[in-house]
Amino acid sequence: MTRVHTGAAPGGAAPIPSPPRVTATAKRRRRAAGSRWTPYLFLAPAAIYILFFQMIPLVQEFRLSFTRTSLLNPTRNEWVGLDNYAAIFSDAEFQRTLLTTLVYVVISVIGAVGLGLLVALLLNGTFPGRTIARSLITIPWAAPGIAVAMIWIWMLNPQFGILTKLLKAVGIDPGRSGVLDNPDLALFAVLLTTVWQLVPFVSVVLLSALQSVPKELVEAAEVDGAGRWAVFRVVTWQVLRPTVGLVAVLMTIWALRRFEIIWVMTRGGPLGNTRTLVIDLYSQAFESQQLGSAAAIGMVGIAISLIIIIGSRFVARGAGKES
Amino acid sequence: MQARPHHRVKALAALSLFSASALVLAGCSGESGPSAGSEPVTITFAASTFGDPGRGEGLEAMLADYNSSQDIVTVEPASVPFPTFAQTVLTQMGAGSGPDLIRFNMAEFESAAAAGLLEPLTDSIDADELGLIAGPDQYLIKDGERYGVVFENSNYGMFYNADLIPNPPETFEEFVQVAKDLTQGDTYGLAFRQTQAEEAGVWQDIQNFVLGFGGSWTDGDTLTIDSPEVIEGLEAFQMLYDLQVIPQGADAATFRQMFANGLVGMELNNGGYATATTANNPDLNFSVADIPFPVQSQGTLLTPMVMNVHSDHKEAVLDFMTWLLEPAQQSQLQEILGASSVATETERSEASLELYPFLPVLDEMTETGVPQLVLGYGPETPELRTIIVTQVLAALQGQTDMATAMETAQQQAEELVGQ
Repeated sequence: MTRVHTGAAPGGAAPIPSPPRVTATAKRRRRAAGSRWTPYLFLAPAAIYILFFQMIPLVQEFRLSFTRTSLLNPTRNEWVGLDNYAAIFSDAEFQRTLLTTLVYVVISVIGAVGLGLLVALLLNGTFPGRTIARSLITIPWAAPGIAVAMIWIWMLNPQFGILTKLLKAVGIDPGRSGVLDNPDLALFAVLLTTVWQLVPFVSVVLLSALQSVPKELVEAAEVDGAGRWAVFRVVTWQVLRPTVGLVAVLMTIWALRRFEIIWVMTRGGPLGNTRTLVIDLYSQAFESQQLGSAAAIGMVGIAISLIIIIGSRFVARGAGKES
Repeated sequence: MQARPHHRVKALAALSLFSASALVLAGCSGESGPSAGSEPVTITFAASTFGDPGRGEGLEAMLADYNSSQDIVTVEPASVPFPTFAQTVLTQMGAGSGPDLIRFNMAEFESAAAAGLLEPLTDSIDADELGLIAGPDQYLIKDGERYGVVFENSNYGMFYNADLIPNPPETFEEFVQVAKDLTQGDTYGLAFRQTQAEEAGVWQDIQNFVLGFGGSWTDGDTLTIDSPEVIEGLEAFQMLYDLQVIPQGADAATFRQMFANGLVGMELNNGGYATATTANNPDLNFSVADIPFPVQSQGTLLTPMVMNVHSDHKEAVLDFMTWLLEPAQQSQLQEILGASSVATETERSEASLELYPFLPVLDEMTETGVPQLVLGYGPETPELRTIIVTQVLAALQGQTDMATAMETAQQQAEELVGQ
């Protein structure tokens, strides 16, 4: 609210007319605040972007999921109702894909957030070379997903890969064809690569949150005789918790959408063991050229993302009330 | 082979007539400014080959020759990287746009032809008159309608390191023995693709084994994935895998580098590989021989040149195609493509034969080459490929035996195609 100085004399004296200088200031302030359309003007670019590049395609995808549509003839489609959904949910392979997706999401999020928190706590301490360490830690996040995947493919090469040799040295035999073609180890390798790429992002975000932990509170807790774990639980964690929650939600949504690392490393194999929803969607759309089925798979992914977002809001609200 | 320029004359005459008519009509209408017909026509030619080292520059030079040979049509190259080529171009064509002229692989050719995205060329291309080689050309005719002409045909042969193998094996037994003898330490007798991440490559490699043992994925109408010949070929593939004479788990990029470094003795590959290998490793002493399998039949990487049905400049596209099919241009194209063959019979130059003395071996395979398709099920090939390769890999991983794997594949494939 902008207050305009009226120039009234103290003690209830007769009001003095406002000088022109004050009116000009008020006008300037009002102009600075803008008209009531200003917020809409600022929001418009984002709203237009979301409408044209997200909402319209989303509606189109929703409609496609009820049709039999070929990639090669997208305008010539046939309405099939819920057939695509019935087909994918009755397919045992799709159920396996859902399970693989769940395992991939849960482990990559827990791994990335857990390790990221640990790295952030380490980097928050004082040690020689801390600045360099903080810079170096961001490299995996800065590297493109394809490059990250290629680095791990080379490290896991069955003949010359350094990790393969390391595994063999500690008595783990990845098999003749190597880790990435071993049905028992491939998902683990993809998860390791994913976590390796995500940890820097999580640690940088949590490190910045750690900077806002009040030092006087930590010192007070220590003076009261609290140990390291107690200080972390009672003081640090309370400050970090909202950021960790936000990062976990972001990681979950990104994990559901992650494509390039899995595709480059295993293409969903061996024998479908690393096939997630996005890999299945791509395969349906661009290999089988079935846009209708691919859209149905996409809608399942969107439904899962929405459930996670809404669920996380409930959890956050509950935690807020509790605190 | 005689030059037959009258094809071009007809096409160019039609174009000129169209341009002139448009000029007249534009004049009559009293409108000023350029009209569509009076403007020079520019068409786009999409091919991943434009990005190939050593070949792209040569092809672009050919386009420049064509462009300077007349002043009506300009052909512009559109280089789309091979890994995303099919997806990019098919999506564009599906949406009613895309390049005017395209060099496709057979799988995309089949899909695009079945979806009605290719312009029929039956009335425009006379195979006999142009002298098109019948073997590969037959695969470009669907239900009596021609949808393309051969741009490049790359036959599969047995590439071997001549320093490691002075006398190439001539029977399958000798092939196995040489592979076993060479495998020692970091050196392997043989290499082929065997990982899910290289599904398309595995498909190409198993094709040679299936054909070489007299098998086929279909008899033309019915799927024969679990036939004894197919299983025999794939069991031979598995035997070599189990003998550990290949660098297991290594991708093509890795084992090709190993081949260049003398760490792999043999591999089955197509003619296009010869050019790339020579360009990258000029000192490598390698050669090519017949694949020593019981039946003389092998895969071929057949890449037709097709016209987009949505092209606005069909006469111009046809003019360029017929120009490229003339003997002089075919010889020039043959030289650029190296060890591949082209649509018509050409004479290899002495310089080429000196550089690649094995060219006659690859050229002789043209009539017995079979494109890497499930014949009769072209549009379904990508899905059938996934089914078959997944089952082959399951057998390699020891999850099942090859015969059971192929029975499963047959069942899944029949469900897919509705047999």
